[in-house]
Amino acid sequence: MLRRLGNILVIAGLAAGALDLSACRRPKPVVAPELPPSGAATSAGAATAPTPLASTVREEPTVATAELPEGAVAAQELPADLAALNQAGYLADVYFDTNKHELRPDARQALAANASWLRAHRTVRILVEGHCDERNTEEYNLALGWRRAHAVKDYLVSLGVEASRIETLSLGEEKPFATCHEESCWWQNRRAHFVITAR
Amino acid sequence: MSKLARLLSILALFPALRLGVAQEEVYLKVTTPGVQRVVIALGELPLLAGGDPLVASRFLEALRSDLRQSAVMSLLSEEAARLVEVDPKNALLTRQRYRSVGAHFLLEGNLIASAGQLVAEVRLFDLASGEVAYSRRLQAAAPLAATMAHTLANELVRLLTGRTGPFLSRFAFISDRSGHKEVFLMRWDGSEVQQLTNHKSVALAPAWSPAGDWLVFTSFLSGRPQLYSLRPTEGFLKPISSLPGVNSSATLSPDGTRVAFAAGDGGNTDIYVVPVTGGTPERLTSSSAIETQPAWAPNGRQIVFTSSAAGSPQLYIMDVEGTNIRRLTFADTFADEAAWAPDGVRLAYTTLVEGRFQIAILDLRTMTRTVVAGPGNNESPCWSPDGSTLAFVSDRTGRHQIYVTDPEGIPRQLTSEGSNTSPAWVASVR
Repeated sequence: MLRRLGNILVIAGLAAGALDLSACRRPKPVVAPELPPSGAATSAGAATAPTPLASTVREEPTVATAELPEGAVAAQELPADLAALNQAGYLADVYFDTNKHELRPDARQALAANASWLRAHRTVRILVEGHCDERNTEEYNLALGWRRAHAVKDYLVSLGVEASRIETLSLGEEKPFATCHEESCWWQNRRAHFVITAR
Repeated sequence: MSKLARLLSILALFPALRLGVAQEEVYLKVTTPGVQRVVIALGELPLLAGGDPLVASRFLEALRSDLRQSAVMSLLSEEAARLVEVDPKNALLTRQRYRSVGAHFLLEGNLIASAGQLVAEVRLFDLASGEVAYSRRLQAAAPLAATMAHTLANELVRLLTGRTGPFLSRFAFISDRSGHKEVFLMRWDGSEVQQLTNHKSVALAPAWSPAGDWLVFTSFLSGRPQLYSLRPTEGFLKPISSLPGVNSSATLSPDGTRVAFAAGDGGNTDIYVVPVTGGTPERLTSSSAIETQPAWAPNGRQIVFTSSAAGSPQLYIMDVEGTNIRRLTFADTFADEAAWAPDGVRLAYTTLVEGRFQIAILDLRTMTRTVVAGPGNNESPCWSPDGSTLAFVSDRTGRHQIYVTDPEGIPRQLTSEGSNTSPAWVASVR
């Protein structure tokens, strides 16, 4: 009985948390995919979840540029096929807090690694897609996703990646990575997703 | 206090809190339950010799259906009508008999269905006074038999209330029933569903021209969100805006000459306005926050929109020149999707209550706000063209479906196939 009450309280707490959108400073998983999968509904999302952020975060972005070969040379190391190149996971997606477009520390770390890789592969062009969870209305989310895509683009540009190589697109809540109706899916959908469009 | 006792005392608060918002789900009460509608008896409407009985029955079926669904009229029940002995030689006596079984009005006349045409000559008798309250000759091509009946039903409502009835009105909406979000059309009661686009992409947020001759909506047809207009009767698609940004949330000026929408470069989204004939969009807002979801006021002079300038989405109002911006909502943690009632006094919008979307109505004269709590999430309100009822989207069944409130304010589900969202209601489609 006590356990059941506890569960109810947890649910009530989650509901209260969801209500208070403006105060969403609760800690977010930095290494996102380590969260336990929450059943069949999320498995589709889990399949498309990115490679663990931790592996990319450990790279030292600041040293990378000078030592790597010129873009044209580097491109030859990459898979020839764009689909395969995108599968290879060179660029880590970044995640956002509820209703926010500001970059979290884990996002900045991931983007530093992405910027370093992009500086080393100068012919690569990318599309940054801004995505949102299903909360908010569709059209507000379209604007929020646009904002997230540009927050990422602006940061990459500040790290020395040419703006002309970065396209942006908002998909709002239209193309979710995970489709359940709870936070275990929502955090996966609040993201900027990288697509390599030219090598 | 033990832990268990504390848990129990906290939990004990929840039913009380829930009761606080979960009142009866009533949106706009036009008629009070128990108050009688005007009862119309369908008397003799014979088809003249040689007519096509199929055309006549399509007309009569549509007319009966409209009378049954009306907020202000009802059809005399079959049981009551069966008690009336029609005396062909004594019309006065027949009318008295109809009155004695509860009818207020009697509709009769005759139908001619030949040479591809349907003609209805009808008279409406006021059974209290015995006078002819309405008399009309309607004519249309035979395939439009149902439309002719809806026109007649609309005129009867206008006669009784001074407002046009809903029977020719239609919804544009978004449905994913084909596997992609496409623009669809249906009658106000959910019948005659028709798919308008087949972009196999993502279509969003349709809005009507006031005359119902074209729609504007957002489509990812090109890979990016762009604004298009579409004539439902012709299927002709025309780009309206391909500015950088979201190109979403179109709303038409009441005179039908301009489109306001949301777009913007560099991640920022502002409100723009562009002539429907094309041209350079003019920017109306210029904050660094998100501005979206414009809704053009029925007086043509103001636009309500959503802005995140205060940290959360809230409703604001401005003059159509982009000046005189004032915040409208203060009591909500979230306010979006404003929809003007045709009276220009009330706004319906989407608010957030206990983590769920709910419909709120703001009276701009008194600045009083009424929140209606329904099950699940309830969002995307839109008004009927006469302002008497609301349509909205709810996920109470597990999927998003369109609901419309009946005259008592109780919601009725209109759609069930796939997910259906973004209702936009227009008086008639031309």
